[in-house]
Amino acid sequence: MEFPIFQVPYLGNGMTIGLDAVLHVIISHGLAIGAVAMVVSAEYMGHRRSSVAWEGFARDFLGFIIVLTTSVGAMTGVGIWLITSALAPRGIGSLLRVFFWPWFIEWGVFTAEVIIVLIYYYTWQRWAGERKKQHLLLGVGYVAVALCSALLITGILGFMLTPDGWPWDKSLWSAFFNPSYLPQLVLRLGIAFMLGALFSIGYLVFTRRDRDFRREALAFFGKVALVSLAVTLLAAVWYFTVVPSAFKTHSLYAVMTSRLSQQPDLFWQINLGGVVALLIFCLLALGRSVISARLLVVPALVVAMLFVAQFERIREFIRGPYLMPGYMYANQVLLEETPLFIKEGMLPRSYWYNATAAKADPVSQGAYLFAQNCAGCHTIGGINSIVDRVQGRSADGIYVIIGHTQEMVPFMPPFSGTDQERRTMADFLFRLADGSIKPGVPSRFTPLSKGR
Amino acid sequence: MNILFDILLQRPLPDPWLQGLLFVAFTLHLLFVLFTLGTAMLAFSYMLRGHWGGSPRALRLAVRIAGAFMSHKSLAVVLGVAPLLLIQVTYTIPFFTGVTLFAPYWLAVIGLLIVAFLVFDLLAHRLDGHPISSLLLGIIGLLPLLAVPGIFVLVLSVSEHPGNWLPIIDQGYRLHGPLLIHWLLRYLHVLGAALVFGAAFHYFFAAGDNEDRRSLLRWLTAGTLLQILLGIMLYGLLPIRPAMMVNLCLFAGAAGCVLFLWYLFSRGGSTDAPLSLHTTVPLALFILVAMLLTRQLIQDRAYLPVTAALTEKSKIHGREIGAFTQESLERYQTKLGVVYDNGETIYAQACAFCHGELADGAGPEAKNLAVPPENVAAVRTTAPYLHQILTRGVPGSAMPYFTFLDRHKLDSLTDYLNGRYQTICKPGALPKAVSVETLNQAKEVYTQTCTPCHGQDGRGTEQSRGYRPPPPDFTSYSLTPQRSFEVISNGYPGTLMPGFGDLPEAVRWGLVQVVNGKRTP
Repeated sequence: MEFPIFQVPYLGNGMTIGLDAVLHVIISHGLAIGAVAMVVSAEYMGHRRSSVAWEGFARDFLGFIIVLTTSVGAMTGVGIWLITSALAPRGIGSLLRVFFWPWFIEWGVFTAEVIIVLIYYYTWQRWAGERKKQHLLLGVGYVAVALCSALLITGILGFMLTPDGWPWDKSLWSAFFNPSYLPQLVLRLGIAFMLGALFSIGYLVFTRRDRDFRREALAFFGKVALVSLAVTLLAAVWYFTVVPSAFKTHSLYAVMTSRLSQQPDLFWQINLGGVVALLIFCLLALGRSVISARLLVVPALVVAMLFVAQFERIREFIRGPYLMPGYMYANQVLLEETPLFIKEGMLPRSYWYNATAAKADPVSQGAYLFAQNCAGCHTIGGINSIVDRVQGRSADGIYVIIGHTQEMVPFMPPFSGTDQERRTMADFLFRLADGSIKPGVPSRFTPLSKGR
Repeated sequence: MNILFDILLQRPLPDPWLQGLLFVAFTLHLLFVLFTLGTAMLAFSYMLRGHWGGSPRALRLAVRIAGAFMSHKSLAVVLGVAPLLLIQVTYTIPFFTGVTLFAPYWLAVIGLLIVAFLVFDLLAHRLDGHPISSLLLGIIGLLPLLAVPGIFVLVLSVSEHPGNWLPIIDQGYRLHGPLLIHWLLRYLHVLGAALVFGAAFHYFFAAGDNEDRRSLLRWLTAGTLLQILLGIMLYGLLPIRPAMMVNLCLFAGAAGCVLFLWYLFSRGGSTDAPLSLHTTVPLALFILVAMLLTRQLIQDRAYLPVTAALTEKSKIHGREIGAFTQESLERYQTKLGVVYDNGETIYAQACAFCHGELADGAGPEAKNLAVPPENVAAVRTTAPYLHQILTRGVPGSAMPYFTFLDRHKLDSLTDYLNGRYQTICKPGALPKAVSVETLNQAKEVYTQTCTPCHGQDGRGTEQSRGYRPPPPDFTSYSLTPQRSFEVISNGYPGTLMPGFGDLPEAVRWGLVQVVNGKRTP
């Protein structure tokens, strides 16, 4: 099944989804789960100790969280879906089929989440005194519902890397409770509480003036951050033990890219440095050092966010040639379709190409074959530009490489087309690299109009 | 195995169920979308009247109205999840086609709503602040917010008109003609509905006194009149004769509208008998349901033929690819077992198709290459030079760069080659000695014939380093004497290196010694 093609110029599809998704993970994990859990804890402290400072902190912080989660958080979350709908409709459409029921239930959970947090926020003043306990229960209820939504979504995310028996039995249960489900869930919760504690420290040291309260709260959030850091690290180790080696071996490249792949030690140094930096920050917070928290909380948050970005990047990258392992390649071609297209051709079966091609010239054929086979990951002239990738190679060399992408580069899907189509695309890429052709609309590979 | 191999066309539920769920979920979503839009428009309008029309009362009302924005918009977004899921599952092909045809607009929704939400949340706290800042914030928040329903209406309108898909591409991905007018009216119809539902909501929940209510009632009445007008125009633009059920629902909705209008007028002037919640809510919901049912029935009718045709096509396609299912799964299983963490695997997978399993340069693809793959088994080089070739490739040949394998992997490849072929070492002794005289002759030949490309020191010249492919650097790269002799005698096909077979054999062996003598490390 085929749709008109659109590619995000310069950024490319993967980076567009990646940027949006990482921002969403930071907010949904860090604020919507982690920070609200801190708010509820703070409210509880305020209630237990009759402390106005804890109570006020919790209420104000919740206001800040709600504004961000219901705008940036919600829209980047829906955004992942909107972006994939436009850039990989066949992929997201198929995922929605496999996970129809979890996703439908997720709708109810999301709605409950929003309703509860709104009630929690708007009843803060009114449900005081006698009704404080009820209000606290509401907060706990919200965190529980938010955890449910993490429970549901982790199944889908894990599936895309470790589908287990799904390619054979196509059953929801093997897809959902896949091998990386549990470790990833724990990892995500660790990240959520880690970020939540760091966000809380940030809000605390920049908005509160009460010295004693600041020191006390700092130690509390520092403790949470330290424990979460430990959980996150253990879960990360656990997670990587269940990822198949064939995928896992590309983790380092996923982060370092071609630019830095020849300095693998740097990867370990940076990661170790990041962990040590977070550890030191947590210890300083435990030691109630408000000044160092003020100075270091923003860098610490940045480090934690980079860890999130790194994890998501690795997870999305190493599944490599597959969008849905065992079923669909990253370029939205089904595994079974490749041998058919190699035998009988991709272009004759391309509805949009045949309906809109101005004429059957090699350039528009090459462009369309590139769009269908490669443009999910490669741009022309932007990030991961195909021009850089084939630059300097001979035309026959490009032809040969196209036929062996999946063996040569283990995270690339195979080319799906006849020998002639492979030749056509190779010539297109060769001429693209030597500058003798320039694509008209790089975001639209479907040749425009018969009339033009 | 399901006959529809493409998961995309499988149904998790029977169609009527999906359509029913879609209707319910969409109605809920739309209700809050209308509240959100209406809240924003009314708050903005009362804010203007408050600041620029000198009415403190209007400003107070604006603040109360804007207070509802946070809840409305949060619910509107989250309630949108189910309709988006259901329409993508029920009407996959037409819906995604609409999305992809107008992808840039569709993607813009994310940014537009983030800006609108943040600015409006800020504005809700600052409405009564400085007039200029309120005005600016209001405009920055309202414009992107109002653009979003336009984009959703655009995608839906396009997806419901499959006949227009190709013309849209022909026009450079733009709307034109009757579809443009259809879109515009439909968009305005949504904004009109937002005014009606927003005004109704705030009539009951934000108005402070009867004067506020009278003002909101005027919005309500004007909005309802506008809706009737737009509805009539839209009906006139329906491309096909509406089905019986469509007309029935539409008639019910229209009757509801007239009844509602009569109710509004009957309460218009009187302050003692305001609108009653018990009459307004059922009536408004009845109109909403009837009109949305009309909408969905029209939509279903437009979508069904496309979906049916494509399902048929997919069945044929499914039977074709079905022949390859088993084979593909086996290949997938095999691939999961191939781990690129050792030189042997990497060579077998990523190198052998050109260089051959025996590393003799005779891989299955060699026949397709004008510059034949190197006989790797004969290469005698240094580890850094090999790493350089692997990370830069050889320009002008098929040899790509392999930076997509990290240093450890490339090192393991080097170790593998070295273990098997003694790649990392000097070229070794010639099979038979070369006399001093011949060697001197060979040196003379090298200076005369080889230096223009290879340079006297064997590193190549500035010019030759730009050749595609460039000559190798003899100080770090050599071949076994036998292989060097072959290349000197026959040349390297596809490159500027010619064969020197007409030189006496002894001189050619002498050249081998000269060239190999340039190796430094």
